[in-house]
Parts: sequence; structure tokens; C-alpha cells
Amino acid sequence: MEARPALFVQRSGPQQLSTVRVSGALSSSLPVLPTPLEERYPKLPDSLQVTMEKELTTGPLTHTIPVPSSSGAVGHIFSSNSGYSADLHISSVSPQEKHPRDTTPFISQSSTGKASTLPLQATASTQCTEKNSWCPDPLPDFLDFAADSPVQGTQMENNNSGPGIPVSEDFKPTNWQEWADQLINEDDSLTSTWNELLVDNSVSNPEQPKMASNFPVSQNQLQQQQQLPPSSANTSSSKPRMRWSPELHEAFVEAVNKLGGSERATPKGVLKLMKVEGLTIYHVKSHLQKYRTARYRPELSEGSSEKKLTPIEEMSSLDLKTGIEITEALRLQMEVQKRLHEQLEIQRKLQLRIEEQGRYLQMMFEKQCKPGSEKLKASSSCLEDPSGPPEELQQQQDSLNRSESRNSKEDNRPETDPLGSSSPLPEESKEELEEDSRDPEQKLCEFKASKRQKTDS
Amino acid sequence: MKFGKLLKQQIQETLPEWREMFLAYKELKKLVRLISASSPSSTHPDEHGLSKGEAEFMYLLNHEIEKFNGFFMEKEEDFIIKNAELKQRIQRVVGTWGEHGSQPSEKLYEEEMARIRKDIVDFHGEMILLMNYSNVNYTGLVKILKKYDKRTGGVLRLPFIQKVLDQPFFTTDLLSELVKECEIMIDAVFPVEEREKARELREAVSVADEGIFRKTIAALMTMQEIRRGSSTYSHHSLPPLNLPESYLSQFLQLNSPIPIQ
Repeated sequence: MEARPALFVQRSGPQQLSTVRVSGALSSSLPVLPTPLEERYPKLPDSLQVTMEKELTTGPLTHTIPVPSSSGAVGHIFSSNSGYSADLHISSVSPQEKHPRDTTPFISQSSTGKASTLPLQATASTQCTEKNSWCPDPLPDFLDFAADSPVQGTQMENNNSGPGIPVSEDFKPTNWQEWADQLINEDDSLTSTWNELLVDNSVSNPEQPKMASNFPVSQNQLQQQQQLPPSSANTSSSKPRMRWSPELHEAFVEAVNKLGGSERATPKGVLKLMKVEGLTIYHVKSHLQKYRTARYRPELSEGSSEKKLTPIEEMSSLDLKTGIEITEALRLQMEVQKRLHEQLEIQRKLQLRIEEQGRYLQMMFEKQCKPGSEKLKASSSCLEDPSGPPEELQQQQDSLNRSESRNSKEDNRPETDPLGSSSPLPEESKEELEEDSRDPEQKLCEFKASKRQKTDS
Repeated sequence: MKFGKLLKQQIQETLPEWREMFLAYKELKKLVRLISASSPSSTHPDEHGLSKGEAEFMYLLNHEIEKFNGFFMEKEEDFIIKNAELKQRIQRVVGTWGEHGSQPSEKLYEEEMARIRKDIVDFHGEMILLMNYSNVNYTGLVKILKKYDKRTGGVLRLPFIQKVLDQPFFTTDLLSELVKECEIMIDAVFPVEEREKARELREAVSVADEGIFRKTIAALMTMQEIRRGSSTYSHHSLPPLNLPESYLSQFLQLNSPIPIQ
């Protein structure tokens, strides 16, 4: 409950406030709306909403998907908002539940996308299960709720002169507390990572997106640390998405079996047995759910003959040949899939290499263009160097193309001449490559050189 | 625009639950267009010197990446679970009925095996589709960043892409591993092929359905289109994908119509 993005309120202009209120109204009844951002906000209806959206979701709470702002900001938010968290929380909740009608004017104001977020369920747990993902998902809405409560609280209170501020009983405070606590805890451990990233980030970005773009990196680090065996500095956090691995899953299954099977095992028990640092009960909970579903369906089909099975049953009872036909169809399918897989791998490798080359070129230019006195030398060497790596890249592409066509030749006899079609390519693209690589980087080099000249003189 | 069209096509052809998960390429393009060509300082930049349009673009970009990561990791988790389950199922079947099905219950064995085979192949397909998802989105990101740089004269592309390369949705090593494991499983589970007979049957078999198979074909075709040499081919571009012409057409004969570009 602590995380109140005061920043949002501060930044909101009067226009934005109304949209904030609306979204708050929708989501504040319960923090557990697992609706993704896109559902809550229609796709970029207007820039204001986009900014609001961003601010709301890149709130301070989490270091998972909606990226929190900088560590400094987070700290700020936590401290400044802790004061009125409880009150607002309560006040915002009860009017919602007691006077659902009051929310409707807000809802009607909202654009279509928001109307769809209305499944306001009673319990946090059902929300979690619905989405079939880790429970922390709802936190963005929690954020909304939080963000809006300062505004809304007063609004509601003004409108509803009657009701006091009783605590809602339907609400599940435990979830909130747990999450909030965890989030606050994690904040400390994260600040250092975020700080580093902030310093590191050389691309000019506005603050919020900067955090967001930093975030993927930090998140990745966290995840990598959170995988078996997690040795990260991060304590338990409900928000970061867990990246599961087969080993981790094995440990999970072991624990579940020890506890008597998927039906009997409880998330808490499993969590305890697994003893994996950084793994939270929410991760386990959602994973357990997925696990149960995965087992349940095959068992359905395995047992008595249900609707799905009858076609197969009939077929195999009728004719063994049909069974073979099915198998052959599957083989065909496999062939295509394997082919696609192969192509994807190749494509990926190429993409990685292209970026590698790009980095290399960038590095070369930075090295060459730095010394001010060597301007002329620098620009000429800039011109020469690019021809190196692109050639290399071209060769790699050639060899990959050749191996691609070789593969296809093996699999399919009747075909056109892939080698023939691919050979003209290298030559023309090579020229383009060299031209292209010269232009932007040459310009950059010259630009830098001339700038230095100006400053020198 | 060509990529945008192809992406749309891909989205249409893909599994329904996935449709929202692809890159919002069109939106991003709109934002890039809205970005004023003039220098940021003339359009009330925020504290990082970015104009409003640029900030919005950055925001959406990061949002999309988060979306990819979330979806990808969730799918990955599902696959890990499914992989383990399939292995178990196979073990169970083999355990109950022996390697090639013991006499009394050969029928049951065959039934169960048929089910398992279908499931495994679809599972394989789904994983490949996820890989394709990752790839298509990455390609889209590269393209849109190129447009952005062109428009603003910025140098966002390179450093941003470097970060993207480390993102969960693009680090598909685990997925590749699972796919390989799956292929091994399949080899183990499928009976040895009898060449001639198999080929006959293959030609006779209709593969027209809305299932995974069709999606993979669509993905392959789209990939081929995307990689067809473009006017802006540069050292950042991928070489064209050279699938022999007849390869895909053999599936098209059998299959229900897939739009051909």
C-alpha cells in the first residue's frame, strides 16, 4: 500500500487528471485486474493518455513489466506517499463497493477501451487464476488505484457526503500488504542496479522511457539471477516475472510429488521445499496452476473415450491404414516445422552478426574520430575500414546462403536452381554494402571532425 | 509499408490468442511520422531533450518490448511444463504396454501413441511459432528504429538494438533446446518410415486445417516475403530467403487457401 506515485499526480495537468480519475475509478475497486495495459487503454487514443498510461504503469512499484522510474524517484515516491496510503486505500475502496452507481459517470466518460476493464471481481485469487499467470500482474492496476486515490479520494468523499470511511470486509488486505512489503523491500536492492543503468545509458531518452528502456536490461539481470541457483542481491519480489528453466521445473515437480501430487500440494509447501532464492509464492502459485491444467487435460483424454478421442478411436478401429495416414500427415507437418525452425535459426544468426558488425563499425569510428589533430587521417581511414567488416559479413552471408540452398537441395529433388539465384546477389549487395556503410558513418566522422575543428578554433 | 502488410498478414494467420502480442508496427510508424522534423528544442522538450513525439515513441517502444517479454516468458514456461509432461506420458505408455505395444492391448497402445504423436508435433509447431514470433517482432523493431533514425537524424538504432538483443523474448536458447529435445522425442515415438508407401500416402493426405501446421506454413511464406530483396537493402538487411519454389507449393495444393503475396 505504500507505493503511491505522487509523481503522477504532480505531473498531471488538469486534462490528464480527468483521465486519471476515470481509469482510477475503474480499477480501484480491486487491485487485482489482470488486464494488460492495452486493454485498459485503447491503442494510443491520444498522446495524453499515452503519457498517463506510461506514467501509471511505469510506476514505482515494480521492477517487472511496467517499469518503475529511477531509483531516486522510487525512493521519493515511497517516502512521500507512505503517509496517506492507508487512508486513501480504504476510502477509495469502500465508496466503490458501496456505490457502484457513482462509478458509472466516470465510466461513461471513458473511452471504449476502458469499459472493457470492468470485470471487477471479488477476490484477488480468482483474478490471478483467471489470467493463469503470476498474481503480481494486477499490480499495475493497483498502481492506478494508488495513483488515483489522492485525486479520487477527495472526489469520492466530496460526492458521497454520507458514508464514512469504513474498511471494506470483502477486501483482502493480506495480499496487498504482502505485495507492498515485498516491493518496498526490493526497492533497496534494486536502486543500485538502476543507478548503474541510468549512468550507463548513453542514449538520450526522456526520464520515464529511459527507465523503461533501462528496465529490460535490469530485468534480464534479475531474471538471470533468479534462475537456479539465484544468487542475486534481490530479495523476494512479487512483480518480476520469473523465467523458468527445465531444471527449476524439475525441482518444482519433485517438491510437488513429495507433497502428494499436484492436487494436494500447496504453493507455500512447494516454495518451502524448493528453497530457491528469489522465488516467491506467486511464482509458485501460477506455475502450479499451469502444471495442474497441463496434467488435467491429458488425463481427461487418456481415460474414458471422450468426444475428442472418438474420431481417433473410430479410425484406428476401422482401418490401420488410416492410422498410418495420420502418422504420415504428422510427418509432413514435422518436415515443414523443421524447415521453419532451420530458417529461423539461420535468420537469427544473421541478425546477430549484422548487429555485431554494426557495433564494430561504431567502435572503429569512435576510435578514429576522436583525436582532433588527425581529422584528415581519421576520415580517410574511416573510409577504408568499413570495407573490411562488410566484406566479412558478406562472406558469411554467402556461405549461409549456400548452405541454405544445399540443405534444400537435399530435401527436395524437383527444384529450381537456388545457387544460381543466390549468386548474383552477393556482388550487387557488396557494392551497396560498401556504399551504404560509408555514407552514414563517413558523414558522422566528418561531422565530428568538423565540430572539433570549430571548437578548436 | 511492405513489412507492415506482411506483419498484418502474419497476425491474421497466427493463433488467435497471439494476435494482440505482436508489434504495434503501424502505431509506431504513425508516431514516427508525427515526430517533427525540426530539432527537439523547438518543440518543448522534456528534461532529456526529447520532443513530445519522440518521448511517446520511446514509451510505446519500451511498452512493446515489455509485452513481448511477458508473453514470451509465459509461453516458455508453458512449454517447459508441457515438455516434461509429454516425456512422462511417453514413459507411461511405454511402461504399460512395452516398447511397441504388447499383444492384448495393442489397439489401446496405438490410440494413445497416436494422441501423443499428434500432441508432440503440435507442441513442436507451437514452439517454432513462438520462435517466429520473436523473430518477426525483432525484425519489426529493427525496421521501425531505422525509420526513426532516418526521421530524426538520431542514432537510436544501434544502442537500442543492442539492448533488445539481451531481452528475454530474443534470447531463444532455451526454446531451441526444447525444440531439439522435442525432435528427439519425435524420432523415438514415430515408427520407422517406409519410404515408398509413405510418399504415396503423403500425397494423398490432406493437411487442410486451422491447426498449427497451417500457421507454420504461413510463417514460412511470410518470412520469405519479408526477406525478398527490398529497395533499401543495406548492410543491415538480411539476405533473401531462398526456398526452392516448388517446396511451399506442394503444401499449397493440399492446403486450404493461404493468401499468396
